Amino acid sequence: MSYKIETRNVDLYYGDFHALKNVSMQITPKTVTALIGPSGCGKSTFLRLFNRMNDLIEGVKIKGDILIDNKDIYKIKTTEVDQLRRNTGMVFQKPNPFPKSIFENVAYGLRVNGIHDRKKIEEQVEKSLKQAALWEEVKDKLKKSAFEISGGQQQRLCIARALAVEPEVLLMDEPASALDPISTSKIEELIYELKNNFTILIVTHNMQQASRVSDFTGFFLLGDLVEFDKTKKIFTNPVKQQTENYITGRFG
Amino acid sequence: MLAFPKNIDQIKMRNQRIMFWIARGISYSIIAILILILFFILKRGIGVINWEFFSTMPKEGMTKGGILPAIIGTLYLVAGSMIIAFPIGMLSGIYVNEYAREGQVKRFIKLMTNNLAGVPSIVFGLFGMALFVNQLNFGASILAGSLTLALLALPLIIRTTEESLKAVDNTFRHASYALGASKLYTIRKVVVPIAFPNIITGLILGIGRVSGETAPILFTVAAYFLPRLPNSVFDQCMALPYHLYVISTSGTDIETSRPIAYGTAVVLIAIVLFVNLLANFLRNYFSRKVKMK
Repeated sequence: MSYKIETRNVDLYYGDFHALKNVSMQITPKTVTALIGPSGCGKSTFLRLFNRMNDLIEGVKIKGDILIDNKDIYKIKTTEVDQLRRNTGMVFQKPNPFPKSIFENVAYGLRVNGIHDRKKIEEQVEKSLKQAALWEEVKDKLKKSAFEISGGQQQRLCIARALAVEPEVLLMDEPASALDPISTSKIEELIYELKNNFTILIVTHNMQQASRVSDFTGFFLLGDLVEFDKTKKIFTNPVKQQTENYITGRFG
Repeated sequence: MLAFPKNIDQIKMRNQRIMFWIARGISYSIIAILILILFFILKRGIGVINWEFFSTMPKEGMTKGGILPAIIGTLYLVAGSMIIAFPIGMLSGIYVNEYAREGQVKRFIKLMTNNLAGVPSIVFGLFGMALFVNQLNFGASILAGSLTLALLALPLIIRTTEESLKAVDNTFRHASYALGASKLYTIRKVVVPIAFPNIITGLILGIGRVSGETAPILFTVAAYFLPRLPNSVFDQCMALPYHLYVISTSGTDIETSRPIAYGTAVVLIAIVLFVNLLANFLRNYFSRKVKMK
């Protein structure tokens, strides 16, 4: 069986701080994997391995193999990092649309990467907004500022922005933690839809969310991947005591 | 049972009120000082202000006539120094905040920028004379004066650029990188547009500083009396602050020259206010353009 993403014995250090300890995980294509664990456990750091966002932090040291489509993404040329990042869309905790129009936000990734054909851009913007279930709500105000729509809509705009460059992997770092319950459920429905076309990793603090949206769940604690299994298994019959303590809310 | 002091709530309330009134009094008195200055100068200078004062050359040993060459000179110097200092200062601020790695070098650059801001303006004047006027042979000229004033304004512009960029949330940068954008593209298309309204503040501060300075232009450009408008950047020119100094200190006919001095001060203040308003307008314009809420 071929995995979309695979890590083998990954260690990551911020200076002297050992943030990820010998983490190995295999992720199946077109599934949703939830990464859970208390704050500071390394789950966001783990997520940022796959588009090499950790590279932006000074003093980071990474050991082990990190593969996407069986290719070690830390052994590629510097010029191939942009291609990697195109291939792995990212959605952040707080909605962070650029101070541009709704249209230009989605078009940004296309323009960055040298697509200037207006017709092509328009098509792609519409397609991405539809994929992000936002098209109907914004199709009449594409020229309006992205700050004029609600927080939940902004987050779906950020998802559309990420989808526009046609990635295969979608990295979501607590994408609903800053949103109200209704917007959150819209994002969750969207994740469920997107699973058909994308491999999704989602960091979340919300146990219910993890159990609702994901197929697999990884539980991190102090940099260790304590347990990784089918979500159903993790939430009904975890092997490790620590996992059970966490999901039942005894610490966190 | 715990016995709280009697009237403790009244005492707290009283202390609150006292502090509040002190703070309010101090901030109002600052406004009062500004109004007092304006009133004082306006009262003495308004008498000489008419169209002729703006539009004609000084006459009869600067005891009569207008101050046109000084107004034009100051406008040239402000524009010239900002054309030089704003792009350089902005690029330098961008380098310090976006490119320079944390550490010795960056700390050193910041320290030196701060030191540069602390150099007395007369020292800039001497330096400008030695380098631009003599060494580079520009002579006493608008070019030499603008360059000297630009040096004076640089640290302000660098610092405000740096602070404005620092205020841009990192997630904007990360979102851009995550889409495969380069650092340069991210800075050009995302970071600087967000920070630009605040960067303009640096421009405003720079203009305020430069337009009122006398010492840096003393040896580098300012003409004591030049009854014509400058022809090129290699020409000398008159300037409002220096003109003000000249007519306040020289001349024997104080009766007639004093009102002209105050009139010049009124014009100088009016120009600074006007340019500040213009820059504020620019700032709001860019603010609306990036539509930050």
